[in-house]
Amino acid sequence: MKHIAVIHGPNLNMLGKREVGIYGGKSMEDINASVLAEAERLNVTVEFYQSNGEGDLVTFIQKCRGRVGGIILNAGAYTHYSVALRDAISAAEVPTVEVHISNIYKRESFRHISMIAPVCIGQICGFGPYSYILGLRALIEGRLDSWLV
Amino acid sequence: MEKKKRFLVVSGPNLNLLGTRKISIYGEGSLDDIHKGLQQRAEELNVTVECKQFNSEGAIIDCLQEAPGRFDGVIINAGALAHYSYALRSAIGAMLLPCVEVFISNVHAREEFRHKSVIAPVCVGVIAGFGKKSYLLALDALVNLTGV
Repeated sequence: MKHIAVIHGPNLNMLGKREVGIYGGKSMEDINASVLAEAERLNVTVEFYQSNGEGDLVTFIQKCRGRVGGIILNAGAYTHYSVALRDAISAAEVPTVEVHISNIYKRESFRHISMIAPVCIGQICGFGPYSYILGLRALIEGRLDSWLV
Repeated sequence: MEKKKRFLVVSGPNLNLLGTRKISIYGEGSLDDIHKGLQQRAEELNVTVECKQFNSEGAIIDCLQEAPGRFDGVIINAGALAHYSYALRSAIGAMLLPCVEVFISNVHAREEFRHKSVIAPVCVGVIAGFGKKSYLLALDALVNLTGV
């Protein structure tokens, strides 16, 4: 059975409490519960990790190498400037899907650039917590798709 | 019985050539294969989809202008137009319908001019990089969004 890591970056532990107009009222735990339910439906296992620390995220992603079959990553604000996170994803050699709760292209211009997008399979943004569900489907069902290049 | 939700799927310039060009980027299947996959997914989800392709920017705009009242949401792969068509952006904004932008390839891993989409800010969200699957995920997203 495939095993997937769902990784939340900085400030995502505050979901449901901060800027609910942008990020919605659901907590990170609510999102994890819905991802877990979808994982069971897709017959895969998932683990969850959240850290506010860039270095901790780098270390965790490094340790995914050879251990997990895929990563769903919401790197939060680090998305837009962390070259270290980008290098960790490249080094891990684990198929990674970048997700965002909000549509980053509707927001400040500094959020329009993703440092990690070029080393991920693809990007999903703007669908609220459902972005994570789509990310999981992309990773699992997508692997069976001969179109995936 | 409540009326089935209807979604419009529009593909832009050169997507009619899918399966015949740049296979390493865009994959082997044709646009027809994508449309068949969407029809199948739509049946599973109990919604309907209408799929169209245009090479002409004006034809896409005409099509989008006619969408309100006929459709509950739109999936658009604008192809290269995504990166510079402000007319398309205005047409999407004017629809007042949820619109999901999709790309087959991971545009962020390609040439710099493809990193910016001028239509992304007027779409609900963006799905890029998952091959044919990008379209199917977009349909899931619209169905979720419109509460079918």
